[in-house]
Amino acid sequence: MLNKDVKIINVGIADIQGGQSPSMIRTTLGSCIGVVFYSPDKKVGAMAHIMLAKDPSGKDSSKNPHKYAETALPELVKRMTELGCNKGEYFARLFGGASMFKGMNSSFLQNIGDLNVSVAKEFLDKEKITLLVEDVGGHEGRTISLYLDDGRILLKKGGFEKYLYKVR
Amino acid sequence: MKEKIDQLFENEAQLPKISSVVSKVMEMVGKPDVVIADLAKEISKDPGLTAAVIKLSNSAYFRPAKPVKTVQESLMTLGIKTVKDIILLNETKGILKKELKGYQVDGESNWMHSLIVAELAKRIAVQKKLKVDKDVVFTAGLLHNIGKVILADFFPTVLMQFRAELQTYEGPYTDLEAKYFGYTHQEAGAKLLAKWNFPEELIEVARYYTEPEKATQFPELVSIIHIANCIVLLGGMGIDIGGLKIPLSSKALQNVGVTEGDLQMYYTLLPEMVKHIEELISV
Repeated sequence: MLNKDVKIINVGIADIQGGQSPSMIRTTLGSCIGVVFYSPDKKVGAMAHIMLAKDPSGKDSSKNPHKYAETALPELVKRMTELGCNKGEYFARLFGGASMFKGMNSSFLQNIGDLNVSVAKEFLDKEKITLLVEDVGGHEGRTISLYLDDGRILLKKGGFEKYLYKVR
Repeated sequence: MKEKIDQLFENEAQLPKISSVVSKVMEMVGKPDVVIADLAKEISKDPGLTAAVIKLSNSAYFRPAKPVKTVQESLMTLGIKTVKDIILLNETKGILKKELKGYQVDGESNWMHSLIVAELAKRIAVQKKLKVDKDVVFTAGLLHNIGKVILADFFPTVLMQFRAELQTYEGPYTDLEAKYFGYTHQEAGAKLLAKWNFPEELIEVARYYTEPEKATQFPELVSIIHIANCIVLLGGMGIDIGGLKIPLSSKALQNVGVTEGDLQMYYTLLPEMVKHIEELISV
């Protein structure tokens, strides 16, 4: 149950938000990915809503770094540092990256989701940030809510919802 | 279930309504010889609407050169068709900003989805230099999925079976609506707009925006809204219980001349469009 003192922080498209207990951070994803960092000891976390793996034009990412995984993920790490968390204190979870409409003849739209997921995983690997849980791919949109009091995530997808409690 | 929905359409008191001033304005702007002073007089009959027109005209979204203080000034500065968009926006807000429970979309998301589809559709029409009436495009985008508002109320009784079947269902999502409700939300939307005496263009968009190859009268307009809707869903905005199960029609891409590069650009533009639309609704 959502306590009325809990502040809801919405993460828009191409946006990064962070917060601390008892707030809740929420976003809705299609082909975009939601990368979630949470520190169970400090009860702080941050979420990035990323649209594309890389900037196709090469010109937009300096203006809109949160759109692209290659620029947004370092920003997400920075946000955790600002919230007082060093690497090793927080863990990652990954959502979204649904693949677009069936029978599509646009390879761009078709592959956005998969590319997003693989670039995010490469980054986590390289930065040695443990990926604890993922729910990616498929044709479903997802709404994820991160409760900062204990780090659980409420995942809503295709008419169903469930809590994911693994935080370390 | 179909009988219940038929009853609803017969008993207009329970259907979403639009005010008589708004339908009169819609009718007036559809005529080539509309007089600004007459239109201003009609709008001024409704004080709430008058206030909304003046307020929205001054929003950052429209950026008038100097502050608009009267309906007449608004019509002269922004143009008749833009003011019509403002009026429809104001009128449909209460209808579209409604939680679609069975679809699992909250009111804010549905409203934002409708506005972003409208905005993106307008951009596509302009960028592709299409012959469609650009002012109709925004309205068509705004109202494309209004039928969901009707069907959402009928979901609770079938929701458990509906979503169980959805898990393994491979066909088009709206076939499930037809199976459980006797209507797809497209049919319901088209029926509602017809009840409101809205123009044929808007009715055809509501009816065929998920299957644009079936559009006979306004295939270009329907295709634009189809593409805009797909891109906005891809960005997660207004994504409902059906997920991403609406296929993007290659016929629609062909009708509008949208290329792979265009699709990429439209998708990448979404965050800027959200900012732009937020300026519109923050007033």
